[in-house]
Amino acid sequence: MNYLKVRLLSAAVLLTVSNSLSAQELTGLEIMEKVEDFQRSTSDSAFNRMQLSTCKFGIKNSKITCAERPRIKSLESVGKSFGVNLKDTKTVTIVLEPASERGIGMLSFAYDDSDQDNETWLYLSAMGRIKRIASGNSDDDSEPASVFGSEFTTEDTDTGKLEEYSINLVEETQESGREVWKIDMIPNADQARKSRYSKTVVYIDKERFVSLRTEMYDQYEKEIKRLLSSRVELVDDVWMAKSLTMMNLVTNRLSNMAILEINTGINVEDEFLTQRTLSDVAFREAELQKLREQVK
Amino acid sequence: MFQNDKCLLKPSELLRLLSLAVSLAITGISLGQEDVSLELDDNLSFDGDFAFDDDLFGGGFEFEESESENTWLNDFTIRLTHQIYGQVNNHSVEPIPGFSFLRESEVENNRLGINIRYQNPFAAGWLLQVSGQSRIYLKNDYQYEANNDNLEVESRINELFVQRSFGQHSIKFGRQTVVWGETLGNSVLDIINTSEFRDLSIIDIEDARRNQLMLSWDYFGDDSTISSFINLFPEFNPAPVRGSPFFFESEFNLTDYRREGDVLIEVGSQWRKSFEGSDIAIMGAYLFENQLRYEDPVNSIGNSIAEKNDFLLLGLSANRAVGKLLLNFDLAFSRGITADSFSFPGTNSVGRAIDLKKNQIGTSFGFEYAVSNDQSVSLGIQAQKLLNEDEGLSPGQSLINDGVFGSWLVRYSNSLKNGDLVLSATFQGDLNAESLLALVGLDYSISDNWAINAQIISINAATGSPLLFFDEDLRLGTTLSYSF
Repeated sequence: MNYLKVRLLSAAVLLTVSNSLSAQELTGLEIMEKVEDFQRSTSDSAFNRMQLSTCKFGIKNSKITCAERPRIKSLESVGKSFGVNLKDTKTVTIVLEPASERGIGMLSFAYDDSDQDNETWLYLSAMGRIKRIASGNSDDDSEPASVFGSEFTTEDTDTGKLEEYSINLVEETQESGREVWKIDMIPNADQARKSRYSKTVVYIDKERFVSLRTEMYDQYEKEIKRLLSSRVELVDDVWMAKSLTMMNLVTNRLSNMAILEINTGINVEDEFLTQRTLSDVAFREAELQKLREQVK
Repeated sequence: MFQNDKCLLKPSELLRLLSLAVSLAITGISLGQEDVSLELDDNLSFDGDFAFDDDLFGGGFEFEESESENTWLNDFTIRLTHQIYGQVNNHSVEPIPGFSFLRESEVENNRLGINIRYQNPFAAGWLLQVSGQSRIYLKNDYQYEANNDNLEVESRINELFVQRSFGQHSIKFGRQTVVWGETLGNSVLDIINTSEFRDLSIIDIEDARRNQLMLSWDYFGDDSTISSFINLFPEFNPAPVRGSPFFFESEFNLTDYRREGDVLIEVGSQWRKSFEGSDIAIMGAYLFENQLRYEDPVNSIGNSIAEKNDFLLLGLSANRAVGKLLLNFDLAFSRGITADSFSFPGTNSVGRAIDLKKNQIGTSFGFEYAVSNDQSVSLGIQAQKLLNEDEGLSPGQSLINDGVFGSWLVRYSNSLKNGDLVLSATFQGDLNAESLLALVGLDYSISDNWAINAQIISINAATGSPLLFFDEDLRLGTTLSYSF
């Protein structure tokens, strides 16, 4: 097993080196496609635990800092890709903390096809039953949904739809001490109707193909949100940022998504990503234990 | 009929209560307003001049190393509360022309509470879940006064069940709830469990529902689910407690149903299936009406005689999601219900019973609309009608519920500050337009543990409405809670 791991690691390193050598040949679109591929691989058949922290921020001693004690939400989620080209996803998310929200469960089906509405079900013990939630249609001009009340929206966390953007490699520069590509992404007319952002500028780590910084601009070309990534680590041979901080420059509030535990490529039973998981706690915990056993 | 010797709310106490409610409302509104962007100097930027301290949230990465400690404590969820409610409008009510009585402002609720929930998946496929609550009724609370001005402590177990899930089956035994119906808040099918609207601090059915001893079985098929239950000890809506706003002195005491060895059982089953954008369910059950009827005792001596009634229920429920709109529909056919049952929650049917059993058809329908990510509005209408109303009536007799009767319910909520502040409004009335209840609430999460809730509840009722005694009542209340 150790020998196999060494071989896999070597292959990953070689792949990384070869990618660097051929950097000059990559277009902006190719770079983003590689980033998306890596991102998708970390969400397919994945079991993770994360912490969402939100606070009002300010600037003190040239540092961005929370101006109040952050509100913290701990979540556990399991996701799996489905459908054609595995572009649809089913995700179960359970709230672990705070105590007042413990046990709230959400089941989401997200479809890549814009003609298909996403579906969401919620379970609250006070309701006593599983409830379908009315939510925005991905096809109309409604704003993207917030992820558990944080500054992250579904637009920020969704993968795919690169073909709906004009992607340009602007320059090579540095960000957080790393060599990066600076890439502009401008939505086409269809995507512009759905998106809050008229332009997105991403800074992609040239070696790791991870976005270290993303700037989001409104229709007046004013920067309204900024995403900073840190704690970039190798997870199952894929580099990923385990700490993401989204700053809303209009409301002066930020949210940090800390991915405390992520396990990819595990065997997730299809029946786990059903409404049963929300209300049948005995079943849910038994299945989660099986998932935990896989990663030990 | 009314206890005019209740302790009046002192002007200073009333003023404090009002000030608290108003300050909370103002605070909520000001907090809810959009922040003004930081005015940054033109020379300032986020590029390199500023460092971001990721350690602000680094606690999460450090905490996971010690999370294995105190695991058994993590199975508990505890909530401590202190609630104060008062009727603040001095006015008079005229139930009968020429006869009126004063409704004076007073504190109604002043109580400490603890809710404890324990959930432990103690083995693979097993779950033990227990929840209970205790209340301490303090000075000025109506239950304190009903207890001869002594502290009263009331405790009860809510949930207590063991669940076993294996394969495609799940079995649950113990005190639990079974909820049917799609319409939010006033479904004609949400009648499996009893409810207790003890006072006007409890408006939502979700808070009033009570658990019962049941054995339930769920079968999760490949594309549908069958859920069945047996209620081993059917219970009934409890009578209003002495001193509560819904209590009234009847000629004979209202008591619980005397089983005297009767074995009562309720059974029911539901088939449910989900399609893309829609869920449907069909159900049937043999039930006892949750509301007891009361008859005078024999020879007018002793307590009222509580009468139960069994009936058959057939139902259909469905929803359909269309973009941001969710449509809901419930249909219920009840065979053999008592024609003279009160439909108003929290009161019992007292008086001369017509003692007729009839069939009834009812529907509840409505919608929920996600105005935005933070705002939602829902409307639900419940309408019921007894079939063959006049059949069995003596000349001159009429039913309490004739024609179409029912209620409507509108709810609105707006989440602000990443959900830390929630403004909500509930409007509820009957289809005959004889009453209107309006509630405006503010829920503010002070921190991950502390939260405060403030409510203003107004009631208007016309002659003929069961809520007439509460006409022009205005209640203010606040609840402070700590959860961990």
